[in-house]
Amino acid sequence: MEKTASPKVRMPINTYKIVQVTIAVLFIGYLIWRIYALAVIEQVYGADSWLRFAVSGLILGSVYAVIAIGYTLVYGILFMINFAHGEIMMLGAYAGYFTLEALGSWIVDPAAGQAFLNANPVLSIVLAFAVGMTTSTIAGVFLEKIAYRPLRGAPRLVPLISAIGASIFLQNAAQLIFSPRRRDYLNPDILTRNTGWTVVVNSKDVVITYTGVFTFVLSIILLIVLYTIVQRTRMGRAMRAVAEDKKTAALMGIDVDGVISRTFAISGAMGGAAGVMWGIHNGIIYHYVGFIPGLKAFTAAVLGGIGNLPGAMLGGMVLGIVEATGPAILGIPFQLKDVIAFSILVLVLIFRPSGILGEVLTEEKV
Amino acid sequence: MKKGTYGLLAALLLVALFATACGGAAEPKECADDPLGCAVVAKGDTIKIGYAGPTQGEYSAFGTDISQGGLIAIDDFGEFNGFQFELVIEDTGGAPEGGAAVANKFISEPSMVAIAGHTFSGSTEAAIPIYDDAGFPMLSPSATNPSLTEMGSLVFNRIAFTDTVQGINAAEYIYNKLGATKIAVMHDGGAYGQGLAEIVKSEFEKLGGEVVAFEAITPGETDYSAPLAGIAALEPEVLYFGGYDADAAVLKNQMASSGLEGVTFFSDDGCFGQNFLDLTGENSEGTIATSLIPPTSPEKEAFDAAYEERWGDPPGTLSPFTWNGYDIVAALISVAKDVAIEQGGNLYFPRSAMVEGVRGLEGYNGLSGVISCDATGECNTTGPTFYIAEGGKWVQAP
Repeated sequence: MEKTASPKVRMPINTYKIVQVTIAVLFIGYLIWRIYALAVIEQVYGADSWLRFAVSGLILGSVYAVIAIGYTLVYGILFMINFAHGEIMMLGAYAGYFTLEALGSWIVDPAAGQAFLNANPVLSIVLAFAVGMTTSTIAGVFLEKIAYRPLRGAPRLVPLISAIGASIFLQNAAQLIFSPRRRDYLNPDILTRNTGWTVVVNSKDVVITYTGVFTFVLSIILLIVLYTIVQRTRMGRAMRAVAEDKKTAALMGIDVDGVISRTFAISGAMGGAAGVMWGIHNGIIYHYVGFIPGLKAFTAAVLGGIGNLPGAMLGGMVLGIVEATGPAILGIPFQLKDVIAFSILVLVLIFRPSGILGEVLTEEKV
Repeated sequence: MKKGTYGLLAALLLVALFATACGGAAEPKECADDPLGCAVVAKGDTIKIGYAGPTQGEYSAFGTDISQGGLIAIDDFGEFNGFQFELVIEDTGGAPEGGAAVANKFISEPSMVAIAGHTFSGSTEAAIPIYDDAGFPMLSPSATNPSLTEMGSLVFNRIAFTDTVQGINAAEYIYNKLGATKIAVMHDGGAYGQGLAEIVKSEFEKLGGEVVAFEAITPGETDYSAPLAGIAALEPEVLYFGGYDADAAVLKNQMASSGLEGVTFFSDDGCFGQNFLDLTGENSEGTIATSLIPPTSPEKEAFDAAYEERWGDPPGTLSPFTWNGYDIVAALISVAKDVAIEQGGNLYFPRSAMVEGVRGLEGYNGLSGVISCDATGECNTTGPTFYIAEGGKWVQAP
């Protein structure tokens, strides 16, 4: 009896493992075949096209990363998805828009008809970001006070519903206040959209836009600054302590409510910066502008491992690049980029349910 | 016990009979003759015209703008023998399910005489069968999908020209006037944009041209550089886009930096308008779009002034359809005034007469041209005009 039972124990048939391996083999095999087909058989896209896809993906990915940080920070501390984060970004985008419009209509040199915007372009951009980030910071803090704090002890689903409600409320409030018109961001002349350095690849001109480079570099700087804040400062240590265990942190003399407020403030500031970057690079904003990027950034945060800062950055970049190059690699319509992005999400969740980098900000599991 | 119940039932029946008899007596003969009955407006009540379109959410600019145009028409023509017309505005979100929900709400309103709408073809398609059963005439400002008038509906009419007419004209213009032989076609995947794009594609191929790409984009996004870069690799001479101004503006803005510099951007009447110019700025130069807006007239100028005074922004800022919004409401009011029967201080509108009246519109002079409905409900007789963006303005294309 014992002899027949023991082999069963030693060799259990793990169906989940088989499914995993089959999917992996099929996926990788298909990918290799597609890349072979693209490089050898079809040759639709030259090096210039691939460079354009990659640039577009990196810029998009860097903005996703900055928004995703906002989701991940709040999740790391409160274990809730702040679905109104996209709307916080939208408010920041509007604040930046009105700042730039005001600076653009403030003529400082009547003789030349030059506005403050073009007389002091760097200062104007800094001001736009300052106003955008401040607005979003205030919005983030108030959002937490109004929509989430009263529900602190409630079941997990309750603040989630509250977040969705806040998101819808903010969208409609913005529509009523700012009108449903789409607005065109006013950039200073040095950052004119859709102009940039021209690189000749494959004897074709590829434009690397100024706004794109600006967005990408600024995103990386913001991500490094944020990472330093969380890892190196007293406030960051308090945040990590609260993330690990709220009760113990409170016993150690940490003001938990204050830390949560500050987390929402930082998350809001990142959202605001993302909003202004979005406006400067893409140009068009309206009351719905934060919704889709918000969803994508949430996906990016889950992809990288929600609650994990480097994970959110990596997830954002991966998502941006996959969206830009995926349809071309697989040879399917570009409209299906979201299908690819979410398929990647499903694959990652099958193989690594905690995301690419896993959850490290806290040990506590969902 | 049993006897008591029968007695009660008999009494109730008698009361009911009496009530219907009384109600019937007050109604004019036309209502009794009309198989669909009458819309009734009691003294002191308003004569209601329903507008259904997206007034909230992503596409709220369209619904808001069309209803604002319609409200100006109410200001201009809304008085009738001591009664006042009212535009009841309901949000469909632009979606089919929203369209059906609003239609069901509207048909339950006894003083509703006609429907100015719907906006968006998908929402309209869902609403047509509901209005068909109830006998509410429709006059849509912007639902242009060709199949809508092929459903055999008696109530549906529109003043927008069809996508078929527009698409065929656009393809001919690109092939003959612009002399292009290789084009790329993009659309937003909606009933309007995709329908139009398919017509342009098939017509252009029929003419002998080559369509190198047929791509859909997800509407509402603000970055389309990847699909544009994909199309740039196929080297088209003209990029045709079927969709609305917001997405068209994003595409046009990003064309130059995605490798499509010097390629003509050609779009539709959903793109035409001040909004596109505002959103593209200097990038708009050379864009060609179709439109149903005729050259300026004194009436149009009067409307433009009234619109700006009441709503703050000049017309065309939100969408290209506001003039149509004015026209449909004005035309429906004129039909309703012809059909109305006054009796006992109440107004009665026989529903069949309303339906026939709207279908029978002939030579009505609107801001957007002459409105004359044919047997299927196509009321636009003018056809599209081509405009080109030059120096930040739309001018008639050669």
